[in-house]
Amino acid sequence: MSDTGHTVKSYAEEMQSLNDDLIKMGSLTESQLADAMEAVIKLDKESVDKIVQNDSKINALRAAIDNQITTVLVKRAPMAVDLRITISTMKISHDLERIGDLAKSVAKKVTPLPIDLPDELVNSLRRLGDLVQKQLKDVLDAYLNNSKDKAIEIWRKDEQVDDLTNLAMNEVANYLQKDKKNLEMATHLLFVTKNIERAGDHITNIAESLYYLIEGEYLEGARPKGKPIDS
Amino acid sequence: MELKNSNIKIKSKNLNVYYGNKQALHNINLEINNKEVTALIGPSGCGKSTFIRCINRMNDTIDICRVDGSIEIDGKEVNDKNVDVVTLREKIGMVFQKPNPFPKSIYDNIAYGPTIHGIGEKKDEMDKIVETSLKKAALWDEVKDRLNEPGTGLSGGQQQRLCIARALSVNPEVILMDEPCSALDPIATAKIEELIDDLKKSYTIVIVTHSMAQAVRVSQKTGFFHLGKIIEVDTTEKIFKNPANKMTQDYITGRFG
Repeated sequence: MSDTGHTVKSYAEEMQSLNDDLIKMGSLTESQLADAMEAVIKLDKESVDKIVQNDSKINALRAAIDNQITTVLVKRAPMAVDLRITISTMKISHDLERIGDLAKSVAKKVTPLPIDLPDELVNSLRRLGDLVQKQLKDVLDAYLNNSKDKAIEIWRKDEQVDDLTNLAMNEVANYLQKDKKNLEMATHLLFVTKNIERAGDHITNIAESLYYLIEGEYLEGARPKGKPIDS
Repeated sequence: MELKNSNIKIKSKNLNVYYGNKQALHNINLEINNKEVTALIGPSGCGKSTFIRCINRMNDTIDICRVDGSIEIDGKEVNDKNVDVVTLREKIGMVFQKPNPFPKSIYDNIAYGPTIHGIGEKKDEMDKIVETSLKKAALWDEVKDRLNEPGTGLSGGQQQRLCIARALSVNPEVILMDEPCSALDPIATAKIEELIDDLKKSYTIVIVTHSMAQAVRVSQKTGFFHLGKIIEVDTTEKIFKNPANKMTQDYITGRFG
């Protein structure tokens, strides 16, 4: 997304810095989500504190981006593609920050979970987590390559995230039905599942912002929705 | 917002302008809607002022200037030999970059136009024209107690509004503004922009401006000129959010040359 064509060099530098910070933020968020998923799958309680602490780095970058954007708006009154970059960067950084928050929440749920969680539950979470991580990686690549086709593809793929979420929720519901004593654990797992799905929604938002940045138009039509599964 | 194609006030077709051997405008095809503000933007020397000067035939005053092609107002050819230029300019007021009031009283600045066009011969009629014109230009309250003082004694922003009032005094249909705020401070500029918003209800306005922000604020349609050609015309919103032409984008985002 970088561009150095501005007559005023400092303007180009400001836009470049926004781009650099957003990429940095994307990469941190990607690691954070990967770490949180790994902690859940491996039920690694040791890593939780570190993941929780790392969230502040993402928050700090978002604050820095917000600040830079305010400066660009007041100094440059950006137009056309610069306006779209500015607006989209602000929106994308907010979605990344929310994904970071959700990863943190996922990690925090590892602490109360038992280490002998049934395989089918772990597997369904892994499938969902893998897909959402792939979606995040893809949307960040699409941003780097300025690819609207990829943005559309990712946007459409959220349907699969919804489907896997429903499956995982079903697994948890079955688990709960087996023994009501599982209630507390099941509640934690439902939160984990829902948080991963919400991260997927923010990725869809990023795909929409990216599409607007490139095309200057909004992605049309209702968001694809996964099929609900009756438990 | 879609471009309105009906309701066209001014239409140029294959308009070419030459200053001696130099061609200043190339095949300009542009439609200006009635009771709307059209902004013309582009780098210095791109032909936007030359274009608006074709609308009221101000280029006639330049000996070496030659115009061909067509420019119509309400479907009538402006360049037709039978057109009376004085009547044409009564219909089309013009405001320039630098306020240029006559070295006369505020009252006489307004009364001058109607007098030469034979309007308002009775004192009370002329008083009414002066008051109405100054009110329309949002200047009346500031000058009503000193109408006999010289117009040149007003502040820059007031002088510019006096010039707008002077243009309005002969009941024009079109107002051409050639960078009307470039010599004004932000407060005076805001007053002119507020006035433009108000005037567009009754008049067709064409404004040449170097301020992108001003074009966005005041106009509904924007045309981008470059090297004597019109590169892109669209709704102002489209031009400044998502222009179709790369040259337009480069110009408005400051990536030119």
